[in-house]
Amino acid sequence: MKSKSKLSAFTSFLFVLPYLVMFILFLVAPLIYGIYISFHDWNLISPIRPFVGFENYTQIFTSGTSENKIFLNGLTNTLQFVVYSVPLLVVIGLLLAMLVNSLPSKIRGFFRTAYFLPYAISVSIIAVLWLWILDTNSGLMNNALQALGLNAIPWLTKLPYAWISIVIATVWWTIGFNMIIFINALNEVPEEMYEAADIDGATGFQKFIHITLPSIRPIMIFVIITSTIASFNVYGQPYLMTGGGPGDSTEVLLMGIVQQAFQLRQMGVASAMAMLMSLIMISISVGQFLLSRGKKGRGNEHA
Amino acid sequence: MRKRNKILLIVIASVLAVLFITPLLWMLSTSFKSDFEAIGGASFLPQQFTFDNYKSTLLDQTVPVFRWMFNSLFVGIAGVTIVLIIDSMAAYGLARLDVPFKKVLFPLFVSTLMIPWVITFLPLYQQFSNLGLLNTYAPLILPYSANAFGVFLLYQFFRAFPKELEEAARIDGANKWQIFIKVVLPSAKPILATLAIFTFMGIYNDFLWPLVVTSTPDMRTVTTGIAIMQQGSFVSSYGKLMALTTIATIPILIVFLIGQKSFIKGITQSGIK
Repeated sequence: MKSKSKLSAFTSFLFVLPYLVMFILFLVAPLIYGIYISFHDWNLISPIRPFVGFENYTQIFTSGTSENKIFLNGLTNTLQFVVYSVPLLVVIGLLLAMLVNSLPSKIRGFFRTAYFLPYAISVSIIAVLWLWILDTNSGLMNNALQALGLNAIPWLTKLPYAWISIVIATVWWTIGFNMIIFINALNEVPEEMYEAADIDGATGFQKFIHITLPSIRPIMIFVIITSTIASFNVYGQPYLMTGGGPGDSTEVLLMGIVQQAFQLRQMGVASAMAMLMSLIMISISVGQFLLSRGKKGRGNEHA
Repeated sequence: MRKRNKILLIVIASVLAVLFITPLLWMLSTSFKSDFEAIGGASFLPQQFTFDNYKSTLLDQTVPVFRWMFNSLFVGIAGVTIVLIIDSMAAYGLARLDVPFKKVLFPLFVSTLMIPWVITFLPLYQQFSNLGLLNTYAPLILPYSANAFGVFLLYQFFRAFPKELEEAARIDGANKWQIFIKVVLPSAKPILATLAIFTFMGIYNDFLWPLVVTSTPDMRTVTTGIAIMQQGSFVSSYGKLMALTTIATIPILIVFLIGQKSFIKGITQSGIK
């Protein structure tokens, strides 16, 4: 009996084995290897890679070093992008969802598809396309401005326009995904709640504040966290649209890490930067989650 | 009054739809303009309609656009196949079978969904470099299979799968594998389709990873190939760039329009609701 259950456990384990192998090879191993590399003076092409302890990390935190400059500049720019893009991605996503839901059901599908369509296209196509739309001399945007009698704007080579351009392209590209998630969430809100509010004579705005928002709260938090993570990972848009410019003002953290690893060939420092970036991202996600739970807890006490 | 509101909403929605679609039409329109007209003209539609951009892009030996599309399609399909097989097996095992340590394994897998992708980016590159596998299909396909999303998605589905169907098959003398392949998997087709679309789009649209692990034109994917052209010989020719991006966009838009329903349903099924 015992050997039979052991045999059964073994054959069951075979189901998990292939994924487990991939999981170890391509997730656990690189995770450990990455920590290991970050403690070494690891040149991409030189085989001599001495252990240096925390030196790569202290290097990043010592002001005046080039590593410090790349990391801080990249982090500041990435955080700027997060702050500019996430509120728009969340608010416009929700507004689009509400707009689509308020349309007659026959034409709803068409508009949902229209707003969701850009999401299917890959980042390099998005970047090349917007590069051309925002071209200073003959792009569509400046053509339109000039037709209205306005001045042409150097969209990609001056601040704040460079950030505005990257944010516009990003919102256009990814907003459809958030919209779809919000549409699903809105459809889950029980119709009776709105009907009850109608009887009480609530206005549309009151219904939104007191019924819609509380009902879609968990999804809202989910969208905020996933949008923040996605914006933290921004790379293709600034890399292709502004090249990090003007100067290094839109050079995001991932661009700094890639430069450190593949142009300066310093994998050790680059890995340390990647570790720090991950820690910051995890802290922010956890912080957002706890913050939202804390608020909910207080809200429940009042209720 | 209500009717007027409805019409106003439709007008707003239509204006927005035009704004969302215009960039794509601009891409299409530019691809039929000569470089001279693209740079000089202020007109939206081409004044002199030309196929030259498509001709020179498709005939240019340095722009193997069909090879890139093949590569993207190949790594996407290979990646999806691996993910569907190993994720469905693992999820079924963890959800329904007596897998040892499953109480530890499942939370361990799911917890890695929290880990930012960037943490494994450089060490993975180093791993493939150590094995001499850079600029091959291996790094373009294999790393995606470690993602726990599919296991998580399918686990929820298999937990809810009716036990009676398995029981009936077991009484008929079927073993675990036969039950899995003949009874469980066929019923999971919709959720597998959803996972396939998510995974395919993730691989097809990935940018930074394929950019660093490939180095020759014949190994590029569509996404990376276009970026290389934009920074290389096409830098000043928007007509050709737009022809190239149009060629690359059409297949994925077709896939997207067909798979859209499944994709949207998948978002609901993935527990995000």
